[in-house]
Amino acid sequence: MKAKTGRLKLTNLTKEFGNGSDRVIAVNNLNLTIEPGEFVTLLGPSGCGKTTALRMVAGFENPTKGSVQLDGVDLGSLSPDKRPMGMVFQSYALFPHMSVYENISYGLKVQKMSKTKIREAVGELLDSMSLEHLANRAPNQISGGQQQRVALARAMVVRPKVLLFDEPLSNLDAKLRAQMRIEIRSIQRKMGITSIFVTHDQDEAMSLSDRIVVMRNAVVEQVGTPDEIYRKPNSVFVADFIGRSNFIKVESVKAGKVGTAKIVVVGKELEVAAHEKAIASSEPVLLLRPESVQVYAAKKASSTGVGQGKVKNVIFYGPHVEYTLTTNQGEITAVVSDPTFEEIVHIGEMAEFTFSPERAWLLPSDAEHNQEIH
Amino acid sequence: MASNRKNAKFDIFTKIALIFVIAIIILLVLLPLANIFKFAMDPGGRVIFTDLPKSLVDQEIVKNTLKLGLTVGTLGTLLGFFLAYTQTRIEFKGKRILHVINLIPIISPPFALATAVIVLFGRSGLITRDLLGLRPTLYGYPGLVIVLTLSFFPVAYMNLLGMMKSLDPALDEAGSILGANRWKIFKSITVPLLIPGIAGSFLLLFIESIADLANPLIIGGGYTVLASRAYISINGDYNIPGAAGYSLLLLIPALLVFLIQRFWSQRNSVISVTGKPTGRINPIKSGPIKYLLLTITWFVSILIAVVYLTVIMGSFASIIGVNNALTLEHFRYVLSGFGGDSVKTTVILALIATPIAGMVGMLIAWLVIRRVKQGSQILDFLGMLGIAVPGTVIGIGYAITYNDAVRIAGYTIIPQLSGGGAILGGAIVIVMVYVIRSSPAGQRSGIASLQQIDPSIDEASASLGASGFRTFRLVTLPLIRGAFLTGLMYAFAHAMTTLSPIIFLVTADTPIMTQKILAEADQGRYGNSFAFCVILIVIVLTVMGLINLAVRGRKTTSYKPLAMVQ
Amino acid sequence: MKKIKLISVGAVSALVLSLVAAFIAPANAATDFKGAACALEGSVKTIGGVTYLCSRVNESLVYGEGRKLSGTLNVLCGAQELWCSTMTTAFQKKTGITTKFVRLSAGEGLTRLIASKNNPEFDIWHGGPNDTYIAGRIAGVLDTYKSPNRAMLIPAHQDADGYWTGVYTGALGFCSNTNELKRLGLRAPTSWADLLNSKLKGNIMMAHPGTSGTAYTALYTQVIRLGSENAAIDYMKLLNKNVLSYTRSGAGPTGPLGRGEVAVGLVFSHDCTAAKLLGNPVVVSFPSEGTGYEVGAVGLVKGAKNSLAAKAYIDFALSAEAQNLGPDKAQSFQVLTNSNAKANRNMVNLKKLALVKYDVEAAGTAAAALKKRFDAEVALTSSAK
Repeated sequence: MKAKTGRLKLTNLTKEFGNGSDRVIAVNNLNLTIEPGEFVTLLGPSGCGKTTALRMVAGFENPTKGSVQLDGVDLGSLSPDKRPMGMVFQSYALFPHMSVYENISYGLKVQKMSKTKIREAVGELLDSMSLEHLANRAPNQISGGQQQRVALARAMVVRPKVLLFDEPLSNLDAKLRAQMRIEIRSIQRKMGITSIFVTHDQDEAMSLSDRIVVMRNAVVEQVGTPDEIYRKPNSVFVADFIGRSNFIKVESVKAGKVGTAKIVVVGKELEVAAHEKAIASSEPVLLLRPESVQVYAAKKASSTGVGQGKVKNVIFYGPHVEYTLTTNQGEITAVVSDPTFEEIVHIGEMAEFTFSPERAWLLPSDAEHNQEIH
Repeated sequence: MASNRKNAKFDIFTKIALIFVIAIIILLVLLPLANIFKFAMDPGGRVIFTDLPKSLVDQEIVKNTLKLGLTVGTLGTLLGFFLAYTQTRIEFKGKRILHVINLIPIISPPFALATAVIVLFGRSGLITRDLLGLRPTLYGYPGLVIVLTLSFFPVAYMNLLGMMKSLDPALDEAGSILGANRWKIFKSITVPLLIPGIAGSFLLLFIESIADLANPLIIGGGYTVLASRAYISINGDYNIPGAAGYSLLLLIPALLVFLIQRFWSQRNSVISVTGKPTGRINPIKSGPIKYLLLTITWFVSILIAVVYLTVIMGSFASIIGVNNALTLEHFRYVLSGFGGDSVKTTVILALIATPIAGMVGMLIAWLVIRRVKQGSQILDFLGMLGIAVPGTVIGIGYAITYNDAVRIAGYTIIPQLSGGGAILGGAIVIVMVYVIRSSPAGQRSGIASLQQIDPSIDEASASLGASGFRTFRLVTLPLIRGAFLTGLMYAFAHAMTTLSPIIFLVTADTPIMTQKILAEADQGRYGNSFAFCVILIVIVLTVMGLINLAVRGRKTTSYKPLAMVQ
Repeated sequence: MKKIKLISVGAVSALVLSLVAAFIAPANAATDFKGAACALEGSVKTIGGVTYLCSRVNESLVYGEGRKLSGTLNVLCGAQELWCSTMTTAFQKKTGITTKFVRLSAGEGLTRLIASKNNPEFDIWHGGPNDTYIAGRIAGVLDTYKSPNRAMLIPAHQDADGYWTGVYTGALGFCSNTNELKRLGLRAPTSWADLLNSKLKGNIMMAHPGTSGTAYTALYTQVIRLGSENAAIDYMKLLNKNVLSYTRSGAGPTGPLGRGEVAVGLVFSHDCTAAKLLGNPVVVSFPSEGTGYEVGAVGLVKGAKNSLAAKAYIDFALSAEAQNLGPDKAQSFQVLTNSNAKANRNMVNLKKLALVKYDVEAAGTAAAALKKRFDAEVALTSSAK
C-alpha cells in the first residue's frame, strides 16, 4: 500500500549561520525531489550540512533561501508542530518523565484523540514492534535498541507524511545497528512513509536507501541509487567516502563509445566505463574497487595482467583474502574471493594484478568537479 | 566479591578520613544540636512545646515563620524560573549583564538589601514617595517578602539555569514535531522535567528564609518569626531553654523539608539527563510571552541594580535621600580603627575557613561516592546538615556548647572555644561556623563531579599500587579540581556574608563585618552600613576573581559552541 | 674561639642587665611620681609604663599610687559605636594597653555577661543605663570599685557600694520628623497621651526593652508614672498599636525616623540631637507628665581578667577629660556627670525638664520579670494584632 502523498520537494534550499566574517554556509542550494514512499539518505562527513538540511525540512531551522514543498504546498516558515512529519532523534529524545506508553501516545494526545482510540493505535503499534511488555517502563529502564524502537514508534504513531531520521543508530553497537536497519526499512516499507535518513555511515546508507544523497561542504556531491553511487561515483570524494577504493593514475584518455573512454594504464590500453566529464579532465583517475582486482603469483604469467607489485601484506579472512600490493601506481588493495590454498601469494613475493575493464570506472579529478572550500 | 572489594577500599587513609569527617560533623553540628535538644527539654524549653496548643502568640509566630518560608520559597522559585527560562529561551541584548546582575545578591550580605529597599521603597522611599507618591509600609511581612525574595532567588535561578541548560533541546523538538505547540511543550515536557529543580529550589529557599535572622531584626516590625523570637529569648530575656525550644521548633520544619527534598531528588534522579544535549533550543522570537518574560527579567535586574547602586551611593552620601552631600566619612569611619579591624578579622577568618571547608566538602564527597558503601547516604546527609540547620540554631547551639569547656566525666575534652575568654578570643568557633556552613556547597559540587568520573579511574590507580591517600591526592583531587575551586569560591562568599550564627558568637577579639553592618543598620546609621557592604562586596569579588583566574589558568576546558550550550 | 666565647658572654650579660633595668625602671618611676604635683584633677596619665591618677589630696593635686598595666582590656560597650571607639581608643593611646570593645545593647550585654560568668570575656562594662547595671549586680556579674574620681560626681550618680558609677545622664524624649508631623497635621507630642493618638498608628518606633536599656527606661518610666506594672503594661499595649517596629538598640529608631519612615521615635533626647546634627529633619520634645532618665554607667566586671587595667579605665571614664570626648569627638550629647566636664549647647538641661522620680534600684530589680512580661503581653501580641 504505497502512499500517494508525501512528495517532498526541496528547491534551492540554503542555510547560512552567523553574519559578516563569521558567516558560515551550512547548506548551499540543495535541490531534491523525494517521491512518496521513497527512502532517501543524506550521507556525508560531519559538518557537511546534512543535519541542517534535515532540520530545515522538519522546520527547526528556517531556510535562508529556497523552499520546502510537501505535495506541492510550500511549507514556508510553518513551525514544526504544524508539519505532518515524524522524527527520530540521535539521542532518541524520549521524554524521561513518561513511560514508554506515554511517550508513544504523546503525539496522539496532542491531537486530542480520544483515550480509547489512542489505546487502540498505540497498542497495535506496540504489538507489531514487540514492545507491549515494555509499555509501563520508563525510558531509562529499557535497552538502547528498545529505546530506539520506542522512538520510532512514537514518530510513526501519528501517521506522518514524512519520517525524518537524524543519525538514529549511531548510539547502538554494531550488531544491533545492523538489526535495526532491517527493522526500520521493513517498517518503513510496510507503512510506505516518505523518509529522509541522515547518517555518516555508508553501510547504513547503502543498506537502507532507495536513493543516497552524498553531501560535502554544504553541497550535494551526488544523488543516486546505492548501486550508482558505488559503481559510478561522481568524484574521487564520493568514491572514497563510499566503500574502499584504489585510484590509479591514467596515462592517456580518449573518448570511446558512449559512456566509455579509451585509456592507457600501466602502458596497457583499455576501454572502460567513464564519467561524462572524465574525458575532458586533465588528470582523470581510474577507480578500482578492491573486489574487482584479481591477484596472482607473478610467475604465472597472464595475458590479462595489468601490472605487477610486491605483496606488502596478506590477511586471510576465510571467505576472502585481502592483499596490499606495492606497485608503481601506488599501493593497491585487492580482495580476492574464495582462493584455493595454492593460489594465495605470500608477503614479499611478487604478484600480478588485473581487473576486468567493465568493473573499472574513470573519474575526473576532484579539483575540476568541485571548487573545494578547505 | 562485594566484601572483598569493600575491604580493599578501606585502607588506612580512608579510615582516617572517615574518622576525621565524622569527628568534624560531631563537633560542628551534632554536639551543638544535642545541646539545643538538651536545653529544649528543660522545663523552660519544654513549656514552649507543651504550651503551643494554647499559646496563640507562639502559634502566630510559627504561622508567621511558615507563611514567610512558603511565600519566599514560592516567589523566589518562580522568579528564578522565569529569569532562567528567559536566559535560556530568548535571544536578547544584555543577556550576560543581566545574568551577572542576578547573581549579585549571592555575594552580598542579605540585609544589605533591607536597608537599601527601605531607602528606595519605604514610606519616604526615593522611588515610592518621591517618584510615585506612594507610602507603602514595608516593615513586617511585605518588606520581609520583598527583601528575602530578592536575596535568595539567585539560588533558584542558578539551580534552574543549570538544569535548563542541560535539558536536551531535542526533547523540545521531539514534542514539537509530534505536533505540540510551545505552550503544550512547556506544560508537558519542560516543567515536568524541571520539577526536581523547582522543588529543590523551593525547599532551599524555604529553609533559607525561615532561618534568616538579620532581616526580621531590621525590618520585621511586628512580624515575629521563630528566628527573631529565639534571638530575643536568649539576648533579651537570657532564657536559654526558651531559645533552645524555639530553635528546636525552627529546626523541625527545616529538617523535615530538607529530608523531603532529599527523598524527592533521589526518587526523581532516574530522570537525570543522559548524554550531551543535541539540537538547538529554538528561541522564542515573538509574541506576548516573549515580551512578558523580558519585562519581568529587565524589571528584576533593574531593581537589583538600583538597589545595589543605592548601596554604593548611600556609602558616599551623608544621609542618602535626606542629606545627599558627598562624603568619604563613612569609609573613613569603617576603614579606620575598629571598623578596619573587623575587615581584617573577617577576611582572615574566612580565608582560614575556606580551604578547610573545601577539603571537608571534597573528602565527604569522595567518601560518599567512592569509599563508603553502607551508610553513604547517611554520611551525605550529615555533611549537608550545616546548611539544613538554620543559622540561628547553629549559633545558639554553639553559644551554649562552647561557652564552657566540654567535659566528659569531669575530664575536659574540648576547652572553651566561644566567647572572649576562650583561646584565640573565640575565633575558633567562628571558623567552625564558616566551615560547617560552607562545606556543603563543596560537598555537592564534589559529588556532582565525582559521579561523572568513572570509578575505574580510582581502581586503576589502586591497581597500580597507589594508597588511598595517593589516589585521593593525585587522581581524585585533580579530576575534581574545577568543582573544588568553585566550591572554594562559594565557601568564601558564604563565609563573608554569613550572619545569623555569627551574631551569637562575636567577641571583642573577633569583630565581624556582617555583625558590624547589622549594628550600624540597627542604630540607624545606614551610611556606615552601606560603606561596610561595599567593602565586603569588593573583597568577595576580588577573592572570587582570583580563584576564577586560578581555575581558568589551569583547567583544560573543552570548547563548547554557544549554540550548543544555550 | 676564645673571642666568640667572650662576645657571647658579653652579649648575654648585656641582655640580662637590660632586662633587669627594664623591670627596675618603672618601679623607680612609680616611686618617682607618686605624690608628685599634677595639673588636672581626675586625669589619667601614663609615665614610664605606669598609669597614675591625678587626684586632690588636702587641697593640692598630686599623682596617686601608680599602676603598672599590662595585657589587653576588653570592654563591653553599651553606648553608640562611635562613642565606644572614641573612648577605648583614647584609653589605649593614653596607657598603651590594647583596648578592644564589643558594642551590645544593654540587654544583650547583660546576657553576654551572664553567659560568660564562669570565664568572663569582658573586664569593663561601659555605657548604657544604670538600671541594667543593677540587674547585673543582682545577677552577680559585677564587682565593686570606688574610683577616687567619684569625688567629682554627685551621690545620685553613683552606687554606694561601687558596683556602678555614672558617666553621663540623659532624658527620654520624643524625637519627631518635622516633615512627617506636617503631613499628619500634628504638632510634636508633648505628653505620653499624645503618643496614643490614632493618627500616629504605625508611625512610632522604639527599641525593644528586652535588648535595649533605653526602651527599658521608657517602660519603667510608665511604671513610676502610672503607679504599677499592670498600668504600665496596659499603657504599652495601647502604645503598641501605634508602634511600627521595635529595634534592637535604643538609638535604632533615629535612622528610620530621619528618613520619615515613622513620625515619632521614643529615644533618649541626645540620640535625637545627634541625628539632628547629622542633618535629619527631626525635633526633640518632652512629655509634660514627666519623663524618665538614665544614668549611663561604668562598672567593673566580676572576675575580670585584667582588673588592674579595668580600674584605671574606670578612673579614666570618670574623668572630665574622657567625658568631654563624647560631645567633642563622638557626636554624643549626654549630660556629663563629672562636675568639671564642659557643658555643651547641644546638651539638654535636665533641670528645666519635668522628670519622674525614677527609682533605679527598683527598676533594676524588676527588670528581668518586667521585660518578660512586656515580651509576652505587649511585643508579641503585635504579630497577632
